Amino acid sequence: MSGIPTPHLSRRAMLLATAAIAVAAPPAAKAQTPRPGGTPTPVPGGTMVMIVNPEPATLATYAVSAGNIPPITTQIYEGLLTYDWDLKPQPLLAKSFEVSADGKTITFKLQEGVTFHNGAAFTSADVQYSFMEIAKKVNPNGPVILRELESVETPDAMTAIFKLANPAPYLMMSLSSNNIPIICKSVFEGTVPMQNPSANRPIGTGPFKFAAWERGQFVRLDKNDKYWKPGLPLLNRIIARFIPDAATRSAALETGEAHYAAYSAVNAADIKRMQANPILDSTTRGYGTTAATSVLEFNMRRPHLAKKEVRQAICYAIDRQFIVNNILYGFGRPAVGPLSSVFSTSGWFTDDVRRFDVPNRLEIANKLLDDAGYPRGPNGVRFGLHLEINSFGEQWLRQGEYLKQALAQIGINLTLRSEDTATWLRRCYTDYDFDINEPFYSAGADPVIGVHRHYVSSAIRQGTTFVNNKDYRSPIVDKLMDDATRELDRTKRAALYHAAQKQMVEDSPGAWLAEVQYVTIFNKKLHDHTMGPLGTYEAFSRAWLER
Amino acid sequence: MRRWRYFGYRLAFALPVVFGILVLNFFLIQLAPGDAASVLAGESGAASPEYTAMLREKFGLDRPLLEQFLAYIGNAVQFNLGYSFRNDSPVFELILARLGPTLLLMLTAFGAALTLGTALGVLAAVARNSWRDAVISVITLICYATPVFWLGLMLIVVFSVNLNWLPTSGFESIAEGYEGWERWVDIGRHLVMPGTALGLFYLALYTRVMRASMLEQTGMDYVVTARAKGQTERKIVFGHMLRNAFLPVLTMAGVQAGNLIGGSVVVETVFGWPGLGTLAFNALQSRDLNLLLGIFFISACLVVAINLAVELLTITLDPRIQA
Repeated sequence: MSGIPTPHLSRRAMLLATAAIAVAAPPAAKAQTPRPGGTPTPVPGGTMVMIVNPEPATLATYAVSAGNIPPITTQIYEGLLTYDWDLKPQPLLAKSFEVSADGKTITFKLQEGVTFHNGAAFTSADVQYSFMEIAKKVNPNGPVILRELESVETPDAMTAIFKLANPAPYLMMSLSSNNIPIICKSVFEGTVPMQNPSANRPIGTGPFKFAAWERGQFVRLDKNDKYWKPGLPLLNRIIARFIPDAATRSAALETGEAHYAAYSAVNAADIKRMQANPILDSTTRGYGTTAATSVLEFNMRRPHLAKKEVRQAICYAIDRQFIVNNILYGFGRPAVGPLSSVFSTSGWFTDDVRRFDVPNRLEIANKLLDDAGYPRGPNGVRFGLHLEINSFGEQWLRQGEYLKQALAQIGINLTLRSEDTATWLRRCYTDYDFDINEPFYSAGADPVIGVHRHYVSSAIRQGTTFVNNKDYRSPIVDKLMDDATRELDRTKRAALYHAAQKQMVEDSPGAWLAEVQYVTIFNKKLHDHTMGPLGTYEAFSRAWLER
Repeated sequence: MRRWRYFGYRLAFALPVVFGILVLNFFLIQLAPGDAASVLAGESGAASPEYTAMLREKFGLDRPLLEQFLAYIGNAVQFNLGYSFRNDSPVFELILARLGPTLLLMLTAFGAALTLGTALGVLAAVARNSWRDAVISVITLICYATPVFWLGLMLIVVFSVNLNWLPTSGFESIAEGYEGWERWVDIGRHLVMPGTALGLFYLALYTRVMRASMLEQTGMDYVVTARAKGQTERKIVFGHMLRNAFLPVLTMAGVQAGNLIGGSVVVETVFGWPGLGTLAFNALQSRDLNLLLGIFFISACLVVAINLAVELLTITLDPRIQA
């Protein structure tokens, strides 16, 4: 923690500010009057309170990639690049970049005059260390994203040249603050990265500095007065609060105690009520690199599920629109295949695949099972399977309850099994003692980052979580995905992905249920918080509070 | 003198109890499938097998069970609670940070429940079968039967969202940066609702036990004697009966002292109170064994200590117990 006190508003001013919030707080007491003349002008100062759920176990974002860490750490650590609404790379710590024609050399020119929160100057040595010693070695995604990265050359302090073994088009999509944060070499050199004292007292180059972490309560971040972007950030402080109970989180937003909640911090059931609240507003933007999809994984080692007909029949039996309407409260879209429709922007997505949402789907499903040699028994049941309930929240049990009914229609008796996270992960990814699993994937900004590992046969790695546990081995898909990993031409790459999607949907190693649409709830006094597709995975450098 | 010898005997008996708890805890936890490394790797999306193996090695999970056990016992007898790898922090620090808020919440709820419960119990017993007794009985029954989480949420809806009198959750208002006296007032405001939600349950419990205990004393010889001597009703109740009737309540409170340290997961969750209950719950969920064993150990020590204190208090109140 830095011992230097940072200037902030006097307590009197702070009290006045909060008094203002408190006055506006009772819902329906007084609707906020819109300012004359359109958009209000930003005012500096103030403390923003955001809800992060659940509380992170650690802030070592460079070594642990759990999704609840970046909302805090991206305020502190910065990456080389950020992305605009069209997912085009934009400068951050890298002022500019140039990819060579063969795709094997990427030259980054770095921002000048940037310092870390401990006062050390930011140079190409920090970039080299962050990639070669930290990201490649201890970042759980490093082996995938940086597989082709052989070395980082530093001809001068402000230039970093990446040398790749093969072209890696996805690499340029993985350089944001939440993916590969740039850490300070002098802080880490000669230490074990995960036991570094800065693991939970992060030191970065970002607009906010780490101030305090009261476990079970909050993380406090203070304004970085020496931030390299002039005039930024506008807020004096950010407080990330942790409230374990969903109903209480909603109440904290309704009373104005908290200003911002992203991802699933607010229960889907509460979102409509929040949207009706005069002091609150909502947005579905800022989730452009998440591509979150709920899926089923079939264990193809099991005799029933080894048959393609059975897997397809299950796919036909499920009404995806029902799941979207009733389990997700309308916040989502039915999924058609392994790639989310978020990848329409880049061209990788196609819906020209075998469609399971046809009107006579139950008829087809029953016929498939009859043909596969599983006639209905005297009680109408063909055979039984187990579904492993995702342990990360209540909604997955709801989904399981629906699936039990949906599969009963085609004579499959589904038994639901709920276990805690550790037991569930062990059963599905280490012991392979499951029939059907119901996980939830984030694809990331490129399919290579978060899609390939679920389907390619090289990702059948016992004991590793959220990889190909289905025993799906398709030489066709392996080849298509392998080629797509290296293909630089966008049209050719799109064709490869379209073919792969077609093949995978045909094989149905899993069932793709719904693309989840997250909703951010925020106080109307908070402005300019969602400035790009990264949403809460990007610093609130321009965010400001109306007073 | 005899009292102290008795106390020393109880103390000597407590040590093997703590040791037994230590051993039992360790092996009970081993029965839970999955380990901290797999949970951590699971939360990271897809971690490589090397990453998981690296975590296991770092956490010492790759060593034989006996070796892990001996290391754990060796550390525990030196009061070294180890390191929580999941939280990247020493276990003792994590527990210490939660101990204050836990004790504040539990002592407030417990203290209020004990005093008020005793008073209400006496009141109900003295006016047995009157309207006062009926009202108290109904209220305690409602308090006893209301689920704590529901009560908590209703308090939030009424007093925070609708009336805006009290903050919804948390331990203090960080954004305001209060200091000194103002800070304590602020913490007090945060304490009101969780304290109430938790305390009402115990209040109901102690009221009922106290009422029953008082009624039991009514027919005792010493009460009849006192009445025959012509003592006032007030003196009989407060001078004679209360002390005797209080013993069962005290015994029960002593048994429940474990909750005092363990905290209440439900209340802590609903009100975002940074207590030991949620810390233990999360530690179990994430298989953070060092932390979990640390909490168990501290709780066991404190429960044993509190029970000794209660014992001491009981033999002071009723010297006949030390046989």
